Amino acid sequence: MTLLAQYFVTGIVTGCFLILATIGFSLTRRVEGFLNIAHAELLGVSAFVTWGLNVKAAWPFLPSAIFAIIFTAVVGLVVGRLFYDPIRKLGPAVLLISSVGVAYVIGGSVDALVGTGIRTLNIPLATTYRFFGVRITDYQMIVVALAALTGLSLAVFMSKTKIGLAIGAMADNPELAASRGIDILQTSRATWLLSSGLAGLAGVVLALIATLSTDLAFHQILQILAVAILAGLGSLYSVMLAGLIVGIAMDMSVFWIPAGYRPLIAFAVVILVLLVRPEGLSGRKSK
Amino acid sequence: MNIEQLLLAVLTYGCLYSVMTVSLNLQYARGGMINFGTVAYFAAGAYAYAIFTQEPPSGLDQYAFGFNSPWWVGFIAAGVAAFLFAIVTGWPTLRLRGEYLALTTFAFAEVLHSIFLNERRIGNGSVGLSNVNRPDFSWIGMSDNYGFAGAAILLLMFTAFLCHRILASPYGRAIDAVRDDETAAEAVGKDIKRLRFEIFVISAVPVGFAGALYAMITTLVSPGLFTAEVTFFVWIALILGGEHTIKGAIFGTLALILFEEVVRSFNFETVRSAEIAASVEHIMTGIIFIMILRWQPFDRFTKKEAVQ
Repeated sequence: MTLLAQYFVTGIVTGCFLILATIGFSLTRRVEGFLNIAHAELLGVSAFVTWGLNVKAAWPFLPSAIFAIIFTAVVGLVVGRLFYDPIRKLGPAVLLISSVGVAYVIGGSVDALVGTGIRTLNIPLATTYRFFGVRITDYQMIVVALAALTGLSLAVFMSKTKIGLAIGAMADNPELAASRGIDILQTSRATWLLSSGLAGLAGVVLALIATLSTDLAFHQILQILAVAILAGLGSLYSVMLAGLIVGIAMDMSVFWIPAGYRPLIAFAVVILVLLVRPEGLSGRKSK
Repeated sequence: MNIEQLLLAVLTYGCLYSVMTVSLNLQYARGGMINFGTVAYFAAGAYAYAIFTQEPPSGLDQYAFGFNSPWWVGFIAAGVAAFLFAIVTGWPTLRLRGEYLALTTFAFAEVLHSIFLNERRIGNGSVGLSNVNRPDFSWIGMSDNYGFAGAAILLLMFTAFLCHRILASPYGRAIDAVRDDETAAEAVGKDIKRLRFEIFVISAVPVGFAGALYAMITTLVSPGLFTAEVTFFVWIALILGGEHTIKGAIFGTLALILFEEVVRSFNFETVRSAEIAASVEHIMTGIIFIMILRWQPFDRFTKKEAVQ
């Protein structure tokens, strides 16, 4: 029973990481209207910038992390302006295929600069705490706290600020938003900055809880897709719920089936959701 | 590497991958279906061939089946395996459109990859099956390298001919109609579900054969060879060749393979420089891909041809 509870808790941590990784992806999907495969590569960019500053340049962790997040946000904006804006009229399928090319470019650049091998950040070792026999490390608690904090502040941002409301309006109906005097171009740029910044945050978290290798980023995209598809085109809250479901399902599955099949759970979620309920948890149909 | 070997490798692998590109062309450019799981049918073919031709397990082998059949039985089995996998994956997914179809096919391919990796009874798990049997070309007086190049060319010719015949027939017109306007096609009495399914399944068979040929050439099948990279490679080749024609698909693949083989044929002093070369190859491929999708230089030219 304790073992099952342990898997459940680990699942929550995984779920919280997935939430952080997917919020940005889901935002792009709603506002720009396509699945950005290259989103996961931005996690890699952020994780390796953090590593470069923290280990190679011997900066303390926090400034390196903040710099990495800002840097990733700018990279995301530039990529969006340079690669996606000119082809937006060609439709979501072409944008999706192009994003594979973008993923190649970003992933290849990270590979060329960093090289293969396994790396860790220069931070203190994790301290483990026990609650009723269930172990959790301080870094894992930070992940959960960050996910909760990000979710909350994003919810406030989207419902209270002018830019947040504009992004929401554009996600729902771009033509109507434009006719109501919302600056589409500016809103789109704000979205790229925001979603890439969130990818940056997720990348920092990844650097915190995982060992870094250059193929790390690619492995995240499948889980991000699973969460995004399960969440559907809905609000922030469906992404958070979907992230927790996928995370807990993946980690608890290890209790019954061999651990090698853990990633399979994410794909099974994609297939099942698309076959049974293509609109996802939120129930909104795509346009 | 000398020029002759380089050209032979380009020809062999170029034709082999072209089989996939041409099949994908049938699915995507003509059938309008985005299949992001091409590698799964390729892998199914390769594994089927290996399982049918290898000897029964002994000693440290973990696989459960080995039928020790002649190569042509394995070759047919490869086509059948891809065919069956296409039925299994196509039947539930084909009502999905566009990016959603892309995602499910991608997920199915990852599922198959994961099963090959984890289920040791199929093909030794991550180790894979080595020393796969290959047909002997000595009876017609050819060396293996030339023999397989010839086999790849023959397979490509067969695939191109099949696709050409399908598309030139009234059946092909119906497929074009479904892609262009499903409602209109349905209104004139075309069973669009069935047409899409048939195209999906038919075009998987040559990919399975290509998988068998690949297993013969490399004499190795392992999950590491059949990753999403293969799917992306075929997609890039298809886009590079200009989407809509068989000729374009073949030229695109040959150009991309030539590019890769040339980069690989350089001698590198250190591991690090080889690594950088591989990454730069990735970046270049990505940039070419993005540029072609953006400006679509072949689009006008190919549309004209598709109308004929």
